[in-house]
Amino acid sequence: MIHNKTILWVLTCLVLFLCGTFAFSQEPAAPSNVTAKDTPNDDGSSITITWDAAPEDSGVVGYKILRNSDAGEFEEVSKQLDANETKYEDKTIIKGKTHAYIVRAITDADASVDSQQTDAVQAKGQWFHTGKTPLFIAMLLFSAAIVWNIYNARSGKEIFVRRIPGLEAVDEAIGRATEMGRSILYSTGLGGVSGVATVASMTILAQVARRTANYETPLRVPSNDPIVMNVVREMVKNAYLEEGRPDAYNEENIFFLTEDQFAYAAGVDGIMVREKPAAVFLQGSFAAESLILAETGNSIGAIQIAGTDSEHQLPFFIAACDYTLIGEELYAASAYLSKEPMLLGSLRGQDWGKVILFAAIILGVFLELSGITWITEFLQRVN
Amino acid sequence: MKRQVPLVLCFLFGVVMCFTQFSPHQYSQAVYNEVINWALIMAPFALIFGTITLIQTHVTRIRRRIEHWQYSFVVFAGLLTMAFIGILFGPQDPAFEWLFNNVQVPLDATMFSLLAFLIASAAFRAFRARTFEATLLLIAAMIVLIGNVPVGDLIWNTVLSWLPWDNGASETRQWILGNPNLSARRGIILGVSLGVISQAIRLILGIERSYIGGGD
Repeated sequence: MIHNKTILWVLTCLVLFLCGTFAFSQEPAAPSNVTAKDTPNDDGSSITITWDAAPEDSGVVGYKILRNSDAGEFEEVSKQLDANETKYEDKTIIKGKTHAYIVRAITDADASVDSQQTDAVQAKGQWFHTGKTPLFIAMLLFSAAIVWNIYNARSGKEIFVRRIPGLEAVDEAIGRATEMGRSILYSTGLGGVSGVATVASMTILAQVARRTANYETPLRVPSNDPIVMNVVREMVKNAYLEEGRPDAYNEENIFFLTEDQFAYAAGVDGIMVREKPAAVFLQGSFAAESLILAETGNSIGAIQIAGTDSEHQLPFFIAACDYTLIGEELYAASAYLSKEPMLLGSLRGQDWGKVILFAAIILGVFLELSGITWITEFLQRVN
Repeated sequence: MKRQVPLVLCFLFGVVMCFTQFSPHQYSQAVYNEVINWALIMAPFALIFGTITLIQTHVTRIRRRIEHWQYSFVVFAGLLTMAFIGILFGPQDPAFEWLFNNVQVPLDATMFSLLAFLIASAAFRAFRARTFEATLLLIAAMIVLIGNVPVGDLIWNTVLSWLPWDNGASETRQWILGNPNLSARRGIILGVSLGVISQAIRLILGIERSYIGGGD
């Protein structure tokens, strides 16, 4: 009897020992479903590795990624990743070589287990970013609408353009300066020559220069960018030449002040206070100096026509200037002032774009309210 | 010919740079980066050109004794001092940094601080309740102003404590900024974006030629 009890006790201890040993020495399962693929929509400089997440009770505390090149030795290419990571983008690949990967799971007992080696893969650059397809289609459609209207406008059919008070007032401002015998001050803002708002501003300036050439009104253009100044000089000179008044052109009236934002504001303010121009044009890209300029212009009693695409500065211009071109009106100014049919045609194309956008917004709102979300998801893909 | 070359270049670079935005390929990105680098190369030449123009302008002012011509000497003093120290000892030199931090930075800050007073004077004119729209603007502005400061909610919770919700000043401000204000801003941004694309197409196709003096 005693003998049997001893045997039973020994067997129980043995079973418990074996169970404990097995439990503590159990290795975590190797990471599964490990794949390595060329990262889509990149320049061929990365490979993306994915794997399934380990169960929460597996004891896995992180992963490391190992890579070989052209079937060579495997080496670690990542620091330890968190246990909840299931994706790694290897941006350190060697272009032109094939790479295979192993995902190594690390446990809290500092043990590790490797996955199966993935198939070797070579990264290649893509010529087209498929994620930008909706944006590309939108760009093509919108461009086609503009080009269609531009070339349609050549037929001579009259195009209606709504009245823009700020641009109607250009002649009034120039006339006022001429009658008062004072100069006109034109600022193209802080933008460089690559800024679209600055280019738009320069096109308006060309139209203003044509008028000042005829009236012999001095046109002063302080610039904060030497390249812009050079282009402006050329444009104004050409405008005077085309109006048959090259003698009235004075290069010294278009000059460089400074590239510093507030020094530029101080310089233009100084010119306003000293010379008291009768008309001030503030057209282009402006930042915090907008109100400094506009309020000084207001204090000297000049007629002020401002225009910017910086929506944060618009309230300041509206408060301090007589007329303000709001956003897109700045870009419409050249067509509006020149009345060229092809330029006016582009405005109609722009309006088509607005109609499409407006329709998409209305449709999106109704579909969202009806619980249909595909249009929202489609537009979110544009990002 | 003088005008055809810029127009052709503008078309080519416009189309190529546009398509680099949709192509992540290394060759495409190399073209994009190279063109951007070309643009950067222009900066030093522009700086020299700007400096020459600045000197010419102020020499003319001094020679012709234009009003306040004496201040042109201040321009030359600043220009020469900073150029002398910067070229000889580099921009990290303590003297250069001291001048920058103790002359230029305070001068910039002075101009910037003027905004506080200019905003007040502009707001005074803008917020005169002469029309329905101006009255709406005034009311919205007052709510946003009060909602922006902590004491706004204190006033709301004390004076309007009988109302069913607390912190109404900051919440109403948030609603104004997040709904009517943001809607209007997005409308402007959409218009600007379409305007930019339209302007770019006109430039790329050579329809807008004012930047090269216009004409055919």
